[in-house]
Amino acid sequence: MGNSFSMLIDGFQTAFTATNLMFGLLGTFLGTLVGVLPGIGPALAIGLLLPICLTVNPTSALIMFAAIYYGAMYGGSTTSILLNTPGESGSVITALEGNKMAKAGRAGAALATAAIGSFVAGTIATLLLAFGAPVMADVALTIQPAGYLALIILAFTTVGTLLGSSRIRGLVALAVGLVIGLVGADLQSGALRLTFGNMAAIDGIETVTVIVAIFALGEALYLASRHQIIDMSVLKMSGKAWMTKEDFKRSWKPWLRGTAIGFPLGVIPAGGSEVPTFLSYGVEKALSKNKDEFGKGAIEGVAGPEAANNANAAGVLVPMLALGLPTSATAAVVLVAFQSFNIQPGPMLFQTNPEVVWGLIASLFIGNTLLLVLNLPLIRFWVLLLKVPSHYLYAGITTFALLGAYALNNSTFDLQVALAVGVLGFLFRRFGVPITPLIIGVILGPLAELQFKRALQISQGDWHILIAGGFPKFIYSLLILVIIGPLIWNFKKKFSLKK
Amino acid sequence: MILKKVTKHGKSELAFASSLFLLGIFVAWDTSRMDIPQGSSIVSPQTFPYIVAAFTSLIGLGLILDLLRGNHGTPDGDESGAPLIPVNYRTLLIVAAAIGLHVILLQTAGYIVAATICFFGVSYGFGSRKYAKDFLVSLIFAVIVYFSFTKGLNINLPSGLFEGMLSNGK
Repeated sequence: MGNSFSMLIDGFQTAFTATNLMFGLLGTFLGTLVGVLPGIGPALAIGLLLPICLTVNPTSALIMFAAIYYGAMYGGSTTSILLNTPGESGSVITALEGNKMAKAGRAGAALATAAIGSFVAGTIATLLLAFGAPVMADVALTIQPAGYLALIILAFTTVGTLLGSSRIRGLVALAVGLVIGLVGADLQSGALRLTFGNMAAIDGIETVTVIVAIFALGEALYLASRHQIIDMSVLKMSGKAWMTKEDFKRSWKPWLRGTAIGFPLGVIPAGGSEVPTFLSYGVEKALSKNKDEFGKGAIEGVAGPEAANNANAAGVLVPMLALGLPTSATAAVVLVAFQSFNIQPGPMLFQTNPEVVWGLIASLFIGNTLLLVLNLPLIRFWVLLLKVPSHYLYAGITTFALLGAYALNNSTFDLQVALAVGVLGFLFRRFGVPITPLIIGVILGPLAELQFKRALQISQGDWHILIAGGFPKFIYSLLILVIIGPLIWNFKKKFSLKK
Repeated sequence: MILKKVTKHGKSELAFASSLFLLGIFVAWDTSRMDIPQGSSIVSPQTFPYIVAAFTSLIGLGLILDLLRGNHGTPDGDESGAPLIPVNYRTLLIVAAAIGLHVILLQTAGYIVAATICFFGVSYGFGSRKYAKDFLVSLIFAVIVYFSFTKGLNINLPSGLFEGMLSNGK
């Protein structure tokens, strides 16, 4: 604990150099900018900005990513409140009450409680991250390959079955992701898979290309196929983005409760920010004295979920940094960002690259503060961005996504992959298949294979090792709970309905 | 006949599910004819792909069964059970073509041409009909991106048709 504290101080020293502060500031600016634009969530934002960031040194670039990560979420809540088009799943609930508040002329209060709540939750959660992640990393050092494989399979199952409305469709996305992850040369033997003599495919398919294409191109194709002229009427904001004493009184408890719900659900692989924001909304609705206001613009319904969303985002970073296991699309992109600098997140990270990881954690604090200071006064400026006509917006997103796909390796093959994945993204949206499990499959598939092979090498080919030992047994019992739990729940519900 | 229960949307979804099933078989076929380098380790490089192939086909079958029971996926952004918005193939193809042209033209015609066409195409697909203004916006977008990447960030983009003309400044 004491060690973490002194490391964190060192981290602040890293983050507080003029260059790194500048990159942090640039990151908060860019993050909010792309976060405000409807249709771009944090995952796509970082994916789009990755080629730009590759030109600077790793520490500065990762500090910039941290700033973009939080910035994009701030921007996202602004859009959901004023435009009712949530950019990512975590802001769906915010849009529910926030947009109603804005319609009732209380946009300022909604934006303020979202921003301050995100700040409070982000700061507490980042503290928990700073002290929790090293502990988890220490424990993780003792995990054997078989245990790792069990953890990955647990992450597959939770992300695959808890997201979206249909379990089988979550698993569809996971399966396609695993197949994409297979493409290229096998790491150990060099055997070629699914390359069909294409030299460019030997190195495998770039994860960033998949992420950028499935979000940006898939969304553009999908919206075009529906040919809805998107209603871009931005709600007017009267007065300042600030809240009254009464608003504060009603907000601070939901902020803390949201943090308490969001952070732990980010640490355990519970499948993204949908579950915690939804839970927080439910809790606030149940506890509120103003139940009748819910659905018409209750401030608690913005404060709680927004805090839960931010705390969740910090929580997701714990397994990402300490285990190398991303459980949300955004954490997946941050992982790829690390990897593109040849830094591998995981138990060893805190020992091999302390300056990077502590600089990153310190800059999360700094970024969070900068956002609060910058955004509340600047909200009017961000709102102007919402007036960009949607046809230019999607033209810009599409063109920029293609640029990002190409610029990573200067490769035409990557562009062709992007087109194919874009079409896949369209089909997924059309048939109600969630996107995140695909990304988790692409990233964790090769890792699963690696741990699988390591385990079998230790046991000289005896498959029993996969379920031997206490830790794998514990994880697989959890897995069975995750699968059976909801089934019993549904059965009970049906049963009581019949009665 | 069993297919009677399936709606038109369900039928295209059935095609999607079947191709997932076939994808699994395809992966298994590719794995079976894999060249395995000499001196491979204890675990064959074929084991994991076979597992993925089996999983993919199994999930494909599961989706087919789900569809045959009359369930179907809810398109992104729709309420479950809401009337289905039909696919507008014209606008879809316009946007797809804009992206495709960018992919094809980038190396031969260069970034500025490819990006201008892509930007213009997508905004046309999204319903904009102010041709002159759209073209100008597209061109300015492409030019700004081109120069800020090649000159500002030192990330090379193909100059294509303008080869020589644009590289003088460097």
